Amino acid sequence: MNRRRLTPVALLAAASIAVAACSSGDSIIEQAGDDEPTTPAPATTVAEGSSGSTAAPASSVAGDEPVATAPATNATTTTTPLAALPDCPVDALDGATAPVEITFWHGLNVDNQTAIEQVTANYNASQDRVIVDPQNQGGYLETIDKFFQSGDTDRPAVVMLPEYTVQQAIDSATMIPVEACTSAAGYDLSTFQPATIAAYSAAGVDWGMPFNVSNPVLYYNKNMFVEAGLDPDKPPQSLEELRAYSQQLVDSGAAAYGIAIDSGADSGGGWFLEQWFANAGELYADNGNGRLAPATEVLYDGVSGVELLTYVQDLVNDGLAFYVGDNAGGADQLLKLADENEPAAMAISTSAGLGTVLNTLAGGLVPGLGPEDVGVGALPGPAGVPTALVGGAALYIADGKTDVEAAAAWDFISYLVSPETQSLFATLTGYVPVRSDALTVEPALSVYEDDPRFRVAYDQLAASPDSPALQGPILGPQREIRAVTARAVAEIFSGGDVQTALSNAAQVANDLLAAYNASN
Amino acid sequence: MASRVSARQRWRQLPAALALLAPSIVILGAFVVYPLVRAVVLGRQRCGVTGQSCRTVGWGQYGDVFVSQEFQNALWVTVRFALITVPLGLVLGVALAVLAHKPLSGIAVFRTIFSSTVATSVAVASLMWLFLLQPDVGVLANVGWLNELIPTLKRPGLLRDPATALWSVALSSVWAGLGFTFILVTAGLQGIPEDLHEAAAIDGATGSRRFWKITLPLLGPTLLFVVIVLTTRAFQAYGEVDLLTDGGPQPGDTTTTLTYLTYGRDSLIAGDDGLRSTSAVLLFLVLLALSMIQLRLIGRRVHYGSD
Repeated sequence: MNRRRLTPVALLAAASIAVAACSSGDSIIEQAGDDEPTTPAPATTVAEGSSGSTAAPASSVAGDEPVATAPATNATTTTTPLAALPDCPVDALDGATAPVEITFWHGLNVDNQTAIEQVTANYNASQDRVIVDPQNQGGYLETIDKFFQSGDTDRPAVVMLPEYTVQQAIDSATMIPVEACTSAAGYDLSTFQPATIAAYSAAGVDWGMPFNVSNPVLYYNKNMFVEAGLDPDKPPQSLEELRAYSQQLVDSGAAAYGIAIDSGADSGGGWFLEQWFANAGELYADNGNGRLAPATEVLYDGVSGVELLTYVQDLVNDGLAFYVGDNAGGADQLLKLADENEPAAMAISTSAGLGTVLNTLAGGLVPGLGPEDVGVGALPGPAGVPTALVGGAALYIADGKTDVEAAAAWDFISYLVSPETQSLFATLTGYVPVRSDALTVEPALSVYEDDPRFRVAYDQLAASPDSPALQGPILGPQREIRAVTARAVAEIFSGGDVQTALSNAAQVANDLLAAYNASN
Repeated sequence: MASRVSARQRWRQLPAALALLAPSIVILGAFVVYPLVRAVVLGRQRCGVTGQSCRTVGWGQYGDVFVSQEFQNALWVTVRFALITVPLGLVLGVALAVLAHKPLSGIAVFRTIFSSTVATSVAVASLMWLFLLQPDVGVLANVGWLNELIPTLKRPGLLRDPATALWSVALSSVWAGLGFTFILVTAGLQGIPEDLHEAAAIDGATGSRRFWKITLPLLGPTLLFVVIVLTTRAFQAYGEVDLLTDGGPQPGDTTTTLTYLTYGRDSLIAGDDGLRSTSAVLLFLVLLALSMIQLRLIGRRVHYGSD
């Protein structure tokens, strides 16, 4: 009896699986975006207001377009002025009778976790008004999910969120903008690198306090440079030089490939692309990279995006670059430098990994490649001059806490970004200081002098001109857009048509933006 | 035992029954029923990246997601993954168990070795295979003769070539699951009365004949159980994909299984809890249907003993 009842269900299931196997539907994201136009959202207005300026994204020069866009966009959006945002009661600690205990969520692991715990312990020991409990959430992604899905009472007073979370942090309405604290406290930001502050600001408000900053740099094998007759202290800076160097490295037999490239979302497939657009002075998304108002479309499928990726694709096609895939391991492009049989001479990776790279090589794991054989150069880019977008993470103060807790959070943050702490944290980790006066105090002072390789990431950030393109994009669903873009880059590096791949990806990215803007 | 209980008596026993059931009801309700219902409701919605401000799309979302390219691709990848891992895991597990089911001295050593992967977590097994298969510094890629035999090992790497990636992930999964199958089948073998084999041997049945005619039919219930568990495992496999390929190689989501589509870091719907719930509920339905089909089709052929 039992079996007879099961039959229809089983048949139905079998039939539906069969249907699924042969019908071909739309994208999972488009499906869901179907009812977009019916939803009135401020973002839609913005899209109309700015569409004229985004028609020709490719050939604009940094600075021109955003300035032209600014008045129109501001007129059509509901930009919230700082005064209307939550206050920062910086003086509340004075009224506290007992030490205030606050929680701090971060996503740093291994050596970096040890470092953040060390500086937090230093803070606790340095004063008796606040006790901070640092809690590792497992990683950035876990921290993001957990923070935004927690209720007011469960949230920590201070949270560390990565650079691609700015728009979400704003839209979640769970934060006290850090600018409320800096202006209430009269905090001096003059020695901060302007780019680090700008990276975490939108619509004229600074939301997060930059803390651990990294950016992509070029790692290269100095021995191979020498063998190929290249100057080991002069790494390539433009893409043309990158190609010429690679050609010489391959022709001379010094290396099997010039450079190893990947298409990981947080490296070659997304993050580096954003960096290259910034380097070229191009906007990655409309509405001034999403800084003036929430972005409604990405611009990487324009002429310059196609040119850029065609150039890199040619490197692969001509055997000068080796494509290592999606970088599922996280450092696959660097491992190609350690290949016994067919090594590449160069790879692009985050500066935050420099300490790990040098430690690994010091262990003698790679025959013929010691820590002193690794050169570090600025990220080669279309403009031929060093620039960088701010990567890494910032510290945010959660709203909805008591005044003393908020004040304690601010006190802790101001300690973490002090020159002394920044100097110590940079040398413990490989992140670069957010302020220039951190370089004038020990230990960064001597470490940076002894090993200029640690300075490269700092210098290219300091060299970046102050322009909207070099603030980098902030997009609501930035994590997903990077995943989409990475798929397109993978297709391109595997020999696919550049324009088609980028256009398709941009369409999905725009759907993601529309869906995001409709529900926020 | 056989006495009939009147309706009144039943009502009188209700409080006691409820009290006894309460722990189960509370635990199942809070940790199984409520989340399930919540997931079904959430599956009708689309949510912002922050998990808040969800808006309801409607039941149609289940259908839309089911026919979407991504879901179908993931379903097809999962089916292929199961078609590789289930038969292979079953055959290898039975073969090893039969090999080790011999009264030889020192056989315990082999049993320990064969079942050792049970003590290996998926994460450890996957990392081990990752280090073995890594094309630049990996162990296998730099063995000269192996390299010549399988050039893909080096360029671009088994896990990076769309043609071999799913097979490689599946093989690591089979390896990791082998110990479990081995132990189950060994237990099943020990439940087969020895006198049947002796009687057959006296009648002149060869070893292979005894295997096909006695061992295999009597293993039936065990094998059915193993097949269902292996299939469920294949449909729920996540760690292997997450650690070995992140759903790639891209483009094409070559190893994006249903679980990776639902939970994966690099999944296209990673930021939308609504769509992820839709996908999770659909995965549940697919698995439910599959288990029923298996019970129905294989179940009636299985010999459960003399009754």
